[in-house]
Amino acid sequence: MLGAILILLGCSYWGWKISSLYRKRTELFRFLQNGLTMLEAEINYTATPLPLALERVGRKSNRLCQALFLQAAHILQAQKTVSAGEAWQTGIAALAAEVPLSKEESEILQLFGYSLGGSDKEEQLKNIALTKKQLFIVQKKAEEEQGKKQKLCQYLSFCLGAVLVLLLI
Amino acid sequence: MAKVFFSNSSNSNYSNNNEQKSEECHKDTGDSTGHNRAKNNGEGQAPLTVTSLSWFQVLAPSIQQLVVDGLQPYLSEIEEIRLRIKRPLLFRLGDLELTVSKDRKITRRLEEGQLVSREDLDQTLQILSQHSLYAWEDEFKNGYLTIPGGHRVGIVGRAVIAKGMVKTLKEISGINYRIGRQILGCADKVLPFLLKNNRQLYHTLLVSPPQCGKTTLLRDIARQLSNGVEAFDFPGVNVGLVDERSEIAGMYQGEPQFQIGMRTDVLDACPKAQGMMMLIRSMSPQVLITDEIGKHEDLEAMYQALQAGVTVITTVHGDNVNELKQRPNLQTLLQWHFFERIIILSRRQGVGTIEKILDGRTMERVN
Repeated sequence: MLGAILILLGCSYWGWKISSLYRKRTELFRFLQNGLTMLEAEINYTATPLPLALERVGRKSNRLCQALFLQAAHILQAQKTVSAGEAWQTGIAALAAEVPLSKEESEILQLFGYSLGGSDKEEQLKNIALTKKQLFIVQKKAEEEQGKKQKLCQYLSFCLGAVLVLLLI
Repeated sequence: MAKVFFSNSSNSNYSNNNEQKSEECHKDTGDSTGHNRAKNNGEGQAPLTVTSLSWFQVLAPSIQQLVVDGLQPYLSEIEEIRLRIKRPLLFRLGDLELTVSKDRKITRRLEEGQLVSREDLDQTLQILSQHSLYAWEDEFKNGYLTIPGGHRVGIVGRAVIAKGMVKTLKEISGINYRIGRQILGCADKVLPFLLKNNRQLYHTLLVSPPQCGKTTLLRDIARQLSNGVEAFDFPGVNVGLVDERSEIAGMYQGEPQFQIGMRTDVLDACPKAQGMMMLIRSMSPQVLITDEIGKHEDLEAMYQALQAGVTVITTVHGDNVNELKQRPNLQTLLQWHFFERIIILSRRQGVGTIEKILDGRTMERVN
């Protein structure tokens, strides 16, 4: 009896875990847009250079997307010859290690990195605005996906647990 | 080679006996003519190391290596580092130009020097701008930026024009590091001529060709007037500093990189005329200090200062007073007899030689 309950609980937890990834992803894209808005202020209003700007944004950001900004800032501060794009790239890698990203999603972030820091204020702002728009679309998609699959995952894993229990009995 | 600088420097007119001088300059700046070096040797201090130099930190690694290999003994004497694309890297020390040859030896034969590559320039630019061109738009527009330590870096390239004005520079082809110097006490010799009495000061104009220590002198004047000069029983006064080219205070991220005195307010990167009027209204200075006047609107600002009872101390490029009379705006100022003291600098006996000090009204020498 106890074993049956444990199996049920285990499977449900597993399903919940997977479904929470969907939730995390939608949150991530929302927070990334927030982060970019903060970066926009750093660039537009105070014209803070990237190493400091990224660090400030990272510190104020949600834990989910912190890795991206802080890692990029860290690389820029520590290595002089690395370009802003390369530093951003390592940031994306750090982010992808925490939350799964599709190819399309990481491409959006990569494209943003290519022109990061390399042009005047106006161009930087355009780049940020474009990326935010793309992230918004991605966020919407991720929300849909979450709506569809979150529940599904939870049901399925519970059912799987139940089937396992029945088989074992 | 070093001899050249010493003989050059031993004539320097900068006073060496000010007690504050022992507290001296940031390690990194040293002084322009080699006192610091002599002092280092004399007092058995550790010689300068590259890591203590703020300007060294913002060189491209390849250039850093050349400095370490070739120029270690001359660190405190470097006044300029010039990177021009496909041409030899140049270091100017006083009147001498040196380069580092391909086998990493220091040499005066410039044609043997290591050539500056596109990567060198690109890397330097990245480091200077901290990968953030947007943060330095105005600086690029003006062709220079200030780095930690208050040093100035000039930039040339192809201008990008928008609406008839330079918008920015691209295809950067040359970078010039001008190592700023701070020589505490270098104004000692001129201060007695600036003081009318222990409360009032003369409106003063410093006249000097480039690279004669004009800004260095002005900076020390600001510092001493602001802190007060005990020797003349002169209490410190509020000094307003309009630092249009960020050279005097060397502001970096809001902090002066040089000692400019405890009662000095700095308007950094602000157009002179506008800045002078802003300071008069906002900070009630007794003395206004600014660099290189000569535009028409400067006259108006100086007139305002006169009305407000504020003393103006400023500088202008030139060799002598007659040359100034050729320039319309300065001629007007001289005709007004605005300046009560005119100090003429030269390089005749080393940087900062005081040629003569004139009474601005009678045009007679007072020193």
